[in-house]
Amino acid sequence: MKSSRYQEEILMLDFSKVEIWTGNQAIAEAAILSRPEVIAAYPITPSTPIIEALSSAVENGRLDAEFIAVESEHAAMSGVMGGSAAGARTFTATASQGLLYMMEMIYWAGYGRLPIVIGLVNRSLAPGWSIWVDHQDAYSMRDAGWLQIFAKNNQEAHDLTVQAFKVAENHGVYLPMAVNIDGFVLSHVAGQVQPLTQKFVDDFLPSFNPIFKLDSSDPVSFGALTLPDDYQMLRKDLEDSFQRAKKVITDVSKEFAELTGRDWGDLIEVYGPESADIAVVAMGTLAEEAEEAVDELNKRGKNVGVVRIRSFRPFPTERIREVAKNYDKILIIDRGQSFGSATPLTLEFKNALYGTDIPIVTRVMGTGGKDVDYSEIMAVIEEVYKEEM
Amino acid sequence: MVSTKELVNIELEVKAIEKGNLACPGCQLNLSFKHALSALKGDAIVVVPACCTSVIQGAGQGYGMHVPIFNTAFASAPPVASGIARKLKRDGKKTTVVVWAGDGGTADIGFGSMSGAAERDENILYVMYDNQGYQNTGNQKSGATPRGAKTSTTPHGKKSRRKDIARMMMAQEVSYVATANASYPQDLFAKIERAATEFAGHFRFIQIYSPCPPGWNIDTKDSVLVGELANNTGYWPLYEAVNGKLEFSRPSRRFNDPAKRKPLADYLKIQGRFRNIDPEIVKQMEEDIEHEWSILRKFM
Repeated sequence: MKSSRYQEEILMLDFSKVEIWTGNQAIAEAAILSRPEVIAAYPITPSTPIIEALSSAVENGRLDAEFIAVESEHAAMSGVMGGSAAGARTFTATASQGLLYMMEMIYWAGYGRLPIVIGLVNRSLAPGWSIWVDHQDAYSMRDAGWLQIFAKNNQEAHDLTVQAFKVAENHGVYLPMAVNIDGFVLSHVAGQVQPLTQKFVDDFLPSFNPIFKLDSSDPVSFGALTLPDDYQMLRKDLEDSFQRAKKVITDVSKEFAELTGRDWGDLIEVYGPESADIAVVAMGTLAEEAEEAVDELNKRGKNVGVVRIRSFRPFPTERIREVAKNYDKILIIDRGQSFGSATPLTLEFKNALYGTDIPIVTRVMGTGGKDVDYSEIMAVIEEVYKEEM
Repeated sequence: MVSTKELVNIELEVKAIEKGNLACPGCQLNLSFKHALSALKGDAIVVVPACCTSVIQGAGQGYGMHVPIFNTAFASAPPVASGIARKLKRDGKKTTVVVWAGDGGTADIGFGSMSGAAERDENILYVMYDNQGYQNTGNQKSGATPRGAKTSTTPHGKKSRRKDIARMMMAQEVSYVATANASYPQDLFAKIERAATEFAGHFRFIQIYSPCPPGWNIDTKDSVLVGELANNTGYWPLYEAVNGKLEFSRPSRRFNDPAKRKPLADYLKIQGRFRNIDPEIVKQMEEDIEHEWSILRKFM
């Protein structure tokens, strides 16, 4: 990690300090530093440790916030919506079935423009019962009006959580944001994390300045009956905000990288040679595993790179078009499906690359927590090398 | 208790609802809203789940309420209100957070979340305006629909008893539980005021009987009369229960004596929803009245 003495002094960041944190701890610690005022939460594996950590922080006085231990995930999202509408910075965490149960309110928060941040610990959907990772839960909220960003390791999850508040609350964006980590693979596996400090976060993240809020001395109505012309205008405005969010996410990532030396990329992260035979596309830990695979293959004389999708919504269509021309083939490894059609990431790529002739191959891997190691990714890359396009 | 003249003056001053809102003629929930928000002097934030009140506020820029409202999905109002109340607490504000929900949103789809907010003793004044069915969608049966009432999903009259939400809230040991009736505005006003001041800081529950002319198939001019008959037949006992101790309210008190109650037939005959129902059900409805009072007496 890069750093300078100057930065250390002004940011009070101790770059020699390293914690061994799980992904859940990394998110919870960053959420605590971000000073949310209202947290409403309901337990579910594998995100439970995040809310336990927040609850403890509130109980022991480390975090000055209201923790509402609600009776369902539907209520958890509703609780943070109320807090947000009243002008509070808000945070919660969930996974899988919990996300599905709160889905009605997920849409309400997105279409209602409430800049809530949620830690979404990706887990597959039942039946059969599976507590392990895939991205089907995240895909289920694709059109709900939420920014969706994926971390590849615990350090990025820590850093992204603080950035998420800054992006979500930006007045040009003003949308809720989900910070995704892979269940168990990150959430329950401890790794090295350089912790952010309170001083740094206070400087980096301005306090929440709501555009509108509930106040009896200045009555406004949220979500009243809306006639068709206004409704369509509001949805167009939502789309415009997503387009603006592309730049804001990029700028905030860049600012963070300049201050800390930790550069996670923009909407995507490109890894490996600038131009390659094959680009492996993936999200979350599969992308990090793909880095291992391409390193190993490139040592053996192959020429392969990785394009990691960090931001799934907004989808980095323009960036994909920019970088795709550097590759002869694209191999998408998707951790979710859209039954009866191509996988969600494949659909995005075919849309982004419409009118180009870059071949796209897809493999669904690692669903329901099926372990994927770099050697399997290497084997798939070798297959794609052999396939005629 | 506030006089009629005072009540009118306060309502003119607060102007919780503007003229030209979208309520049906004779709508009693609309009057209840006006009385309740006047009792709060307009210092309220109202959370409205899907119900008639979602619509009667008006559409788009033709908006007609003078209080901040958060419109939300059916089952979410109590936790939304919880989030708002917690933020107000942090900001040191005394504004009353009101959930203003219908009977379907309370007795059925929102019951779990209301019960959760009651258990946490959130600083919320929960008002269930009870028009005894899903009136916004055209009179379907809810858990609070009374026995005998015809709805579009109980076309021959509902066979079972209504779910008694006020008593269920008493069972949850809610500190202040009351029933009210849109036809008795002073009593309603006093209860909202008492709940908002004396029991501020706690979860409070008030259930308001609110006749619905189109849903109940009653003449618009009769909607206040129906409320009065509900009281005078003993059909809708008015009471307050403070920390589980119940006291009947003045308009209802003398109907604790069954001999003083008007015949139920007077109440039924002016409502189309009870027309031509099975006499056996009518007999059960008559028994339901004394059954209700006999349970309530145990908490006196």
